Amino acid sequence: MQYRHYNTLNALLLLSLCFLAPVWSSNSQSAVQNGGGSAHTNNWAVLVCASRYWFNYRHMANALGMYRTVKRLGIPDSNIILMLADDAACNSRNRYPGCVFANQGRHLDLYGDNIEVDYRGYEVTVENFLRVLTGRMDPSVPRSKRLLTDDRSNIFVYMTGHGGNEFLKFQDNEEISAFDIADAFEQMWQKKRYNEIFFMIDTCQANTMYSKFYSPNVLATGSSQIHENSYSYENDNDIGVAVIDSYTHYVLEFMEGINKTSQTTMQDLFNSYDVDKIRSHPGVRMDLFHRDIRHALVTDFFGGVAQVEVLPQLSTEEPIWSHNASMASPVVPAIDLFPLTKGNITEEVQDVELTGDKTAVPHPFALELMAAVQNSTSQRETNYRTVRAWASAALLVALVGWVCSRGK
Amino acid sequence: MDFRLAFPALVAGRLLLAYTSLPDVLKNDHQLSSPLTSYSRLQEGVYLFQQGFDPYSGGPFRHSPLLLSVFSTVFPLTRFTSPILWTACDAVAAWALVRIWRARQNIAGSMRDTLVAASYLLNPYIFLPSLAFSTSSIENALCLTSLMFACQGRSSAALMALALLTHLSLPSILLLFPVSLLLLTDPFSHLAFPRPFVARIPSLPPLLAEFTAYFLGLCAAATLLCGNTTWVEKTWGAFLLLPDLTPNPGLWWYFFTEMFDHFRPFFLMVFSVHLLIYALPLCIKYQHDGVYATYLLLGVLATFKAYPTLSDPGLFLSMSALFPETYPYLRHPIVTTLLHLHASLLLPLFHNLWLTQGTGNANFFYASTLVFGMANGAALLDAMWAGLRVAIGEMRGECEVAQE
Repeated sequence: MQYRHYNTLNALLLLSLCFLAPVWSSNSQSAVQNGGGSAHTNNWAVLVCASRYWFNYRHMANALGMYRTVKRLGIPDSNIILMLADDAACNSRNRYPGCVFANQGRHLDLYGDNIEVDYRGYEVTVENFLRVLTGRMDPSVPRSKRLLTDDRSNIFVYMTGHGGNEFLKFQDNEEISAFDIADAFEQMWQKKRYNEIFFMIDTCQANTMYSKFYSPNVLATGSSQIHENSYSYENDNDIGVAVIDSYTHYVLEFMEGINKTSQTTMQDLFNSYDVDKIRSHPGVRMDLFHRDIRHALVTDFFGGVAQVEVLPQLSTEEPIWSHNASMASPVVPAIDLFPLTKGNITEEVQDVELTGDKTAVPHPFALELMAAVQNSTSQRETNYRTVRAWASAALLVALVGWVCSRGK
Repeated sequence: MDFRLAFPALVAGRLLLAYTSLPDVLKNDHQLSSPLTSYSRLQEGVYLFQQGFDPYSGGPFRHSPLLLSVFSTVFPLTRFTSPILWTACDAVAAWALVRIWRARQNIAGSMRDTLVAASYLLNPYIFLPSLAFSTSSIENALCLTSLMFACQGRSSAALMALALLTHLSLPSILLLFPVSLLLLTDPFSHLAFPRPFVARIPSLPPLLAEFTAYFLGLCAAATLLCGNTTWVEKTWGAFLLLPDLTPNPGLWWYFFTEMFDHFRPFFLMVFSVHLLIYALPLCIKYQHDGVYATYLLLGVLATFKAYPTLSDPGLFLSMSALFPETYPYLRHPIVTTLLHLHASLLLPLFHNLWLTQGTGNANFFYASTLVFGMANGAALLDAMWAGLRVAIGEMRGECEVAQE
């Protein structure tokens, strides 16, 4: 029944939105000026490790650490583009095959058994990276390799590798410059491919990479300023190489204290930078970012938090028979044919964030659905069903009783 | 141990076990409950019915409408009441088994009663599905009560129980053959001294008519509940058309996962007819002993049924306690036992490897179902042999029985 009305209701909704658009945009403006919530509806992440070879293990671990954090906070694999220029887990030099660790002592395996690497090995090139950002791809490229963002997407772009003054080295044979990334972001802005971008980079002289951005709604941070190196954090003696970079390590350590419902802001993240510990000067660029970072939540970029509207409650009728409250009604578990299969890294269902606006009008489509459900279960039908059930049970019992009473 | 003490003790132990958290662990196990007997699906169907949706209009519910009517009105399924019902089913089934034993031996009580009851209540193939609240325990109880009434000569009660059983599990209609044989003869053990069946053919149609009447009455009750006849295709159609290929310890599901659609109807027919062809020959060959014929046909159903659980071969194995006269003539009891042990260890292991850990694949579990089928087949063949061998008796000299 719903499909019949779907098109007309959709049209009505679009029409109403057209009238509301000026109101809505001014509302969002005022919301932005008030430092209110972000206007995004979905989150994406582009995580790039641009260097190959075994001794750049730490760059792979950087990217995988970010991947794990971002997945833990709720961004699904379908919204993450993970680019790893080399395979550290299955490298013949890896003493722990299939595992990538980011700390001395190897306490947490970042590779696990449920990761999706979208661009791997030689597919990680400057051209592919720019094509992912701008969306200009050959039609044959599969969906998992595309950044399918819209104008309400918040994107977290993380890059790590070897870099220098306004460049980042890809695969030891090419480089991307700060101008290229800035132009790519501008293309994305023109094509309405993002709501806000958070750009994080961990290389030597990283802060130069974001110095050339000129598109709005971009918040950027880097691990070290010009003429300064970024250092690795620690080695693992059994793996034999450095396993994590200092800046990323401290950022990940900060993120371990964040969960999906956390209200920690980006200002808190930037305040946590400790120059002595990181051994370089991380920088932040917020002039292009229109919101106040004291109100921008970390989960706006790192998490996949959904905004949910609460509809007024349906009035459900009484059950057929009402027992006393102590006896629980028959529980309906979802039929799970394979109940014991391990799920993804993110075990729980995404948490919901209630909008504070309790007077929100439900979608007219939803109102129609509620009316249909209420109408279909009218009292008369319920009674008829109850009568049928009891009659059937009575017939069954009578039949059995009669046979037993015959004694034959 | 005295039967009057042991039986309540066993039942009480089962009841206590059912109130632990063990049922929640076992509830969705594929060996203990099939899509047609699963407790979760039963709950879902009852819930849908109460909310006003037709539980048979597509969806996982494939239980009989009779169960739906009972559990949505008279007996609500809760965490508190389900253990009572399932323990009661097991108690009734074990009690019926003891009564069958007594009827067969024509005695009021014996030293072996406790053993017979324990062979049912302590059989893991029986009590594990019962703890998982699989409705196959209800089917077993109905089967044994039908057999009990048949042994006591109460034809109406026997046929009523059989009609109820057929409503729950369609292949059990084949039991009509040996049960009517049993009703026309006596339950005593004639394995050692077989005599031909004195054909009192005129006595048969009234029995069949009575069965048909009960069957149709139950169909009427089911149709009354649903308001239409969609339940026929969803419940009995599942046995014939195999729509749900959830893994179970049977032999059908894997075969039909790899079946091309073009050949599917043909092989469905072949598998169904395969079940059919055992009924009459077993009744003819074992016409002297109706209980034994029923026992063997139950073994056939356990091995070759469409959606078996562990309770079906469990019933067969437990019933072997009724025939101690065959024990000396079993040719390979140890092999059968070891095969069953092997299969019962492999089934959960490979199921776990396939579906939980993901390091195996469906072939692992299929192989373990083949071993299980072999174990059931070995038990069945040995029982068939021993049943006939009893009649030949001790062999003197160097002679050996090659064929019966």
